[in-house]
Amino acid sequence: MFSTFLIFFLNGLAQGMLLFLIAAGLTLIFGVMGVLNFAHGSLYMLGAYLTFWIATQHQLNFGLALLLAPLIVAVVGGVIEILFLRRIYQQNVSFQLLLTFAFVLLINDGVRLLWGSAPLTTPLPQYFVGTVELSNQTYPIYHLLIIVIAPLISMILWLLLTRTKLGKILRAVAQDPIMAGALGINVPRVFTGVFMLGAGLGGVAGVLAAPLRTLSPGMGDQVIIESFIVTVMGGLGSLPGSLIGALILGQVNSFGILIAPRAQVAFPFILMAITLLLRPRGLFGQSQRK
Amino acid sequence: MSNFTHSLSNSWLKLPHSRRQFIQYLGWTTAGILAACTAPSNRTADPNQPVRIGAMYLLTGGFATYGEFARDGINLAVEEINTQGGINRRSVEVLFEHEADSVQTARRLVLEENVDFLIGIDSSGNAEALVPTIPELGRILMVTHAASPKVTGDLCNPYVFRCSVNGPQNATAGAEIAAKEDYLKWTTIGPDYAFGHQSWEYFQQAAQARKPGIKFLEKTAFPKLGAEDYNSFIAVLQRSGAEAIWCSLWGNDLVNFVRQSRQFGLFEQFPVYMELGAAMEVLQALGEEMPIGQWVGTRYWWQTPNTEINRNFVQQFRDRYNTYPSYNAENAYVGLHLLAAAANEAGTTETDGVIAALEGRTYEAPMGRLTLRAEDHQAVVDVPWGQTAEDSEYDFRLLNPIQVATGTSVTRSVTATGCQIS
Repeated sequence: MFSTFLIFFLNGLAQGMLLFLIAAGLTLIFGVMGVLNFAHGSLYMLGAYLTFWIATQHQLNFGLALLLAPLIVAVVGGVIEILFLRRIYQQNVSFQLLLTFAFVLLINDGVRLLWGSAPLTTPLPQYFVGTVELSNQTYPIYHLLIIVIAPLISMILWLLLTRTKLGKILRAVAQDPIMAGALGINVPRVFTGVFMLGAGLGGVAGVLAAPLRTLSPGMGDQVIIESFIVTVMGGLGSLPGSLIGALILGQVNSFGILIAPRAQVAFPFILMAITLLLRPRGLFGQSQRK
Repeated sequence: MSNFTHSLSNSWLKLPHSRRQFIQYLGWTTAGILAACTAPSNRTADPNQPVRIGAMYLLTGGFATYGEFARDGINLAVEEINTQGGINRRSVEVLFEHEADSVQTARRLVLEENVDFLIGIDSSGNAEALVPTIPELGRILMVTHAASPKVTGDLCNPYVFRCSVNGPQNATAGAEIAAKEDYLKWTTIGPDYAFGHQSWEYFQQAAQARKPGIKFLEKTAFPKLGAEDYNSFIAVLQRSGAEAIWCSLWGNDLVNFVRQSRQFGLFEQFPVYMELGAAMEVLQALGEEMPIGQWVGTRYWWQTPNTEINRNFVQQFRDRYNTYPSYNAENAYVGLHLLAAAANEAGTTETDGVIAALEGRTYEAPMGRLTLRAEDHQAVVDVPWGQTAEDSEYDFRLLNPIQVATGTSVTRSVTATGCQIS
């Protein structure tokens, strides 16, 4: 009984942590810039394909992919922000949705052009292959690694936002970009930096997910829905909210399969509906942004 | 209106024998006149105009690899048909369209592009939406992939044919292989939509009939289509108490499932019978990650049968595309050849004549001898299964040994399909 509980709990935890890594970039960009980036799932996908490109096509180290792929994704994010997004901040929010959705299509087809539409896989790095014994059953090391890495990254992000000068600037820009600008902060540059950081985080999630998932040009579309659920539940723009939201969703998904397999598909949406009914701004959401 | 009269087939002009029949005939005749007035008729066969074919497949999105393979198969067939003199000495031209909005797309292909035939459809959902609307277009639809039993069952109609293996045939062939082993307790994992549930149902029916004493567990796993994380479903399977697993996941989902299952040692615990595990896109994506010794099925396997026709086809396909033909490539290739052969025999591209030539037609396809059953327009053809095996010359798993279930033994009787064409 306990061992069954443990396995489902760990599965839910691993799933939730991976989800959090994806949602973190999304929520960071929304929190500071107020931009809902539909293309975030595609940036995650780009991270995964770059992992394939580095680790499988060029037979280089997985660690190098973990370093290089997020950097490239961040640069792509920077280009999107500087050349396109920047022009429409003054416009209606629907322009942002249309623009970022256009990038979903562009990145999906770009990936198809570069790597084809057949499903691809990139193997688990040799040093993470293997299992550990947990309460009389085996559990893959790589899953445990994700369970450890994700909170580590969230901790770094949290420290960055709350304990550094850069964090202070980000929070100031988030609260009142006009005042921050008047005080001599280069707001456009901060926006570019935040968008690159958010995109890079999506890239990190893509690299870590690559050995577990099938790579296909649509792999970001599924993920973006669940990340939205997580960020909405946690409160748009709240990093701790996303973490809690992702952890809850992971457990609900995992134990849902055990307890009510037939209804399991609906659980994430029911969960989101309940959250929105009881607390429309999400678990950790701020009331009424300006 | 010059083509008006030929649309009324002879049987409708026979004199009725009873009042009831008269009313029935009246109804049909009215329907016929309406159809003749609204349905576009085939253009007169101008020998200088090419025969146009509208092909609809999943050409974009996450499943585009299926559409691309089909397109490759069709383009190869077009080249062959045109070098052999085309259809009734007219050359063949194919228009490819993405199959989303299949009803609208088909209508546009017929009404605006004036295609003579329709071919394609990857998704069962798209096929089920499209098939009932085909009669009003007055064109033949050759289905080459969508495996829903309804296409040649409840929804069947005179204009729709399917040259590929359908879901029930696939699952029954698997049950035939499975019944040879000693496993008595089975559970399943499959996508949570019609295909996955039907696959499990047909597998149960067929296995029950072939192996007395076989049991099917209540505890099953049906992840949603496109689920990325299978870990907890795998844990459910491991705790089910089954002796073997029937798996109807396909494409990316199957690749995900196999890789994640390996991490949890599922394949060391259970034999997993994968209905579509021998699809080329799955085997190529998995490479050496596909475990050895598992039974996998498909709707065409390029190594079998060992006939000259098949060897030639594989050679041509490899020369042209530098890869092995997937079942979808072969099925689309066969579909177009069937249309061409029937139209050549009929000496026309007019729908009625080609339907007559297609019904009951036997064709020597790469996948073996195939017969389009006259009663429900379903292809009856042998279905290959095999055990995954390593081969140092290939970077993906091959099948060894291969077992072929004969087409007649895995095909439902016409009454069981629920199809009534005449």
